[in-house]
Amino acid sequence: MSERPVHELIKELSQVLVQLSDKVVANLLDALHAVKYQDEQGARKIRMVDDEIDLAEVNLEARCLAFLALQQPVARDLRTIVTIIKINDDLERIGDLAVHIIDRMPEISPEMLELFDFESMGMRAGEMVQKSIKAFVSKDRELANHVCALDEEVDVMHRSVFKKVTALMKGPDSDVDQLIAALSISRYIERMADHASRIANEVIFLVTGEIVRHRGGFYEKLIESLKE
Amino acid sequence: MTVDAKETSESAQLQKATRDIYLPPERKKISGDDTIHISAKEFSIYYGDFEAVKRVSVDIISKYVTAIIGPSGCGKSTFLRAINRMNDLIPSCHTTGALLFDGEDVYGKFTDEVLLRKKVGMVFQKPNPFPKSIFDNIAYGPRLHGVNDKKKLMEIVERSLKKAAIWDEVCDRLDKNALGLSGGQQQRLCVARTLAVEPEVLLLDEPTSALDPKATAKIEDLIQELRGSYTIMIVTHNMQQASRVSDSTMFFYEGVLVEHASTAQLFTNPKDPMTEDYITGRFS
Repeated sequence: MSERPVHELIKELSQVLVQLSDKVVANLLDALHAVKYQDEQGARKIRMVDDEIDLAEVNLEARCLAFLALQQPVARDLRTIVTIIKINDDLERIGDLAVHIIDRMPEISPEMLELFDFESMGMRAGEMVQKSIKAFVSKDRELANHVCALDEEVDVMHRSVFKKVTALMKGPDSDVDQLIAALSISRYIERMADHASRIANEVIFLVTGEIVRHRGGFYEKLIESLKE
Repeated sequence: MTVDAKETSESAQLQKATRDIYLPPERKKISGDDTIHISAKEFSIYYGDFEAVKRVSVDIISKYVTAIIGPSGCGKSTFLRAINRMNDLIPSCHTTGALLFDGEDVYGKFTDEVLLRKKVGMVFQKPNPFPKSIFDNIAYGPRLHGVNDKKKLMEIVERSLKKAAIWDEVCDRLDKNALGLSGGQQQRLCVARTLAVEPEVLLLDEPTSALDPKATAKIEDLIQELRGSYTIMIVTHNMQQASRVSDSTMFFYEGVLVEHASTAQLFTNPKDPMTEDYITGRFS
């Protein structure tokens, strides 16, 4: 049976989302590269791409809202459109965080950056975004669960940066401004991983119809993480 | 009791009370004893040898709104009409299994069909007022059941028209012919005529399919008004209508009751793939 136009449209909206995610992940990796090499021109390009991401996010949301109003979808069609709207929002936030990293560029030196492994951390966050989108496309609950598990790794990396920054701050010649900038970058990457994890949760909703956010001792885990 | 514990307790009561029918917060629980009003047990309906409704087992809870959806010819109207024995008019029609109304067998040997139809009223697809005055249309049923006192009849007419949300539009022309009303008004008049004999159940067979959107909205609002006072069952081809007006939804396909679930559940995450395919328009 060939797809009805309404289902073709859902596919098209999904494809627009995937294209947006490709752009967001590329911009995130470019941001890390630009900071590492203090690349001013690269930083300008990242801001321009973020403007494009913002525009694409608004356009996709408008198309999804029109779809809801005109097609009145139910069941998996409804869940797909709601999931696209939510993932779209997460991707836009990840895009903003990449720009926040660029904003810290003037405040941190390459020498200070070498003390931290932001590239691995950022690559891991980027991988989480890519995998969560792959889970969306293939409606793969297992992969979505895997992405949620990866979030813990990025949290561990962030805590390790936090410990290192606090230890360095206690030194006599510590450059507090640079250390705070480093901590901010770590925090931005950790937030990106959180957004990827949210996308994975939204995929679980898409597949099962269950809202799994804040389950499984989420707050307990958060409190434990803060204690550490 | 903490707020959480209270909410959990209320939620548990709600689940129990509505026999696992989940109601979203905007649809208030109906107060009452939540009895099963209509119950089908392995109930089949035949036209000659053709089994139009196949071994349906379902419980309908008192005073909630139940929608019946499904493609044409799936048996939904046949099932609805069986509840007040409208199918008796078709000679080849017979049933097996049990259909209980208030615990009594609808198809029992000693069932009084006239009394049954007084308790189980019906409104059809096309408005069908009698070619009489508005007053006489509403007074027809009560007169048939022995009410002849003019003052008493006037009370019934006013109360029924008010309940059907049409009193304000017709109160100054009760002696005018009902056929002069608009389609939407005629349909609400038919609802009022059904309410005049004080039924317990309202069966609505595609009640808005011949109406414009404004008249449809009025009928849907009326269903919400009547919810809680009557057990309402509505057959509709309009799935948005089913999702707007009902508490639970039954999906029929080829005579089989495929799924019966809370409307919120059925339209967001149906359990049966066939239901999913039907409501998302993927049916081949």
